[in-house]
Amino acid sequence: MPLEILLVLVVGGIAGITAMLHLTGKSRLRMLTPESARSEWLRHAPDDAVIDVTVSHDGHAALIRTDAGNGLLWSFGADTVARHLLDFDLLEHPQGFEVQFHEFGAPKAIIHLDELERRHWQHLMEPA
Amino acid sequence: MTDQVTFPDAVQWAVPFFIAGILAEFLWIAVKGKGGRYETRDAVTSLIMGAGNIASGFLLGFIAYAFFMWLWQITPLNLGTSIPVIILCFVLDDLRYYWVHRFGHRIRWVWASHVNHHSSQHYNLTTALRQTWTYTFTFMMVVRAPLILLGFHPAMVLFCGGLNLIYQFWIHTEAIGKMPRWFEAVMNTPSHHRAHHGRNARYLDCNYAGVFIIWDKMFGTFVPEQEDDRVDYGLVHNIGTFNPLRVAFHEWVGIWRDATQPGLTLRQRLAYCFAPPGYSHNGSRDNSEQIKAKHLARYPEDRGTPGFEQFEAKQPNTQAKQA
Repeated sequence: MPLEILLVLVVGGIAGITAMLHLTGKSRLRMLTPESARSEWLRHAPDDAVIDVTVSHDGHAALIRTDAGNGLLWSFGADTVARHLLDFDLLEHPQGFEVQFHEFGAPKAIIHLDELERRHWQHLMEPA
Repeated sequence: MTDQVTFPDAVQWAVPFFIAGILAEFLWIAVKGKGGRYETRDAVTSLIMGAGNIASGFLLGFIAYAFFMWLWQITPLNLGTSIPVIILCFVLDDLRYYWVHRFGHRIRWVWASHVNHHSSQHYNLTTALRQTWTYTFTFMMVVRAPLILLGFHPAMVLFCGGLNLIYQFWIHTEAIGKMPRWFEAVMNTPSHHRAHHGRNARYLDCNYAGVFIIWDKMFGTFVPEQEDDRVDYGLVHNIGTFNPLRVAFHEWVGIWRDATQPGLTLRQRLAYCFAPPGYSHNGSRDNSEQIKAKHLARYPEDRGTPGFEQFEAKQPNTQAKQA
């Protein structure tokens, strides 16, 4: 296949499919409830016993307290990603906190918190 | 020996069908309200990985091709390019695919290339295109050497490999339940391949087939999709990025960080590179056998069921110890 045609097909295909998905509402972030956050955590870390769950007011992040320590669950597109809070930096962010995980495949999560939540979450995320 | 044999690059010619297939699947899901799901950034990442795979073929493909042409120069055999020979080549190359794919899940060095194909938590036709950029660095082209030494022309072998990849496109869907029984028995299908993409303990390291599922049945790695254990797609430790560069290289970076940490023996460093994924020198991670064993500790009723057959024989000992 001529390179020019291949290039047009690939670029046009990606652009067209992206537009179609976005315009049909497929870019929405996963909303979490305490129940779904607990269930999602156990999907990611089935060996843990969940003690309690704190979901952010925007519904896109949850702090999970487990018998194996604290963890962060956050919306990742229509799905979720979870990490135990073991090796991380907690940085101030204009909309809440930025959690850096020192991991190439999961570099950071930005948690959107209102003023009421911020102090509480900071307290919860401090190492025991 | 002549090298004046040319075959089309089948994967490039299939690009319009890939796009049409994705549109058809998306519309099917929208109309039926079932049969899969799409998410914008996940799909875009998969598509960019597919485009990058084609680009890496342009940039690095010459390495494998030069190796194959060198083999072609030294082999005294030439089976020609008749239709029966092409069919035989296709079947044998599918056997080659089975083993490369199996190595891709059991050797971390090869997994570092293949992992990106499993890194989506979705399973739709875009997932099929989430392909590696780093296959050349796995050196798995050597597994094709016997085919060329047997007299199959390199261009024909690559053509058959392309057809193999095209076949695998349509099986990355939840829109198709089960195919007719005879087809499920012989061919790789959406159902068989859904199980392969599962991160459930049951489905780890199963169904490596490309086109013919018979290889898994022959070599003991076949696990049928279970109605009572819905497939959970993705990685045991799912990644948290849509950045294609991070998707493509995250496991290579992981190998580097693990193997270069201070205080390890040479054996431990090599194990971080070549042992099955999940190896750790201090037991801080689980490989697939350990994940299955932990699952059975939580759900002993699954012992001996598909995906857990290897634990069946150990049951009497466990019971004896418990008694």
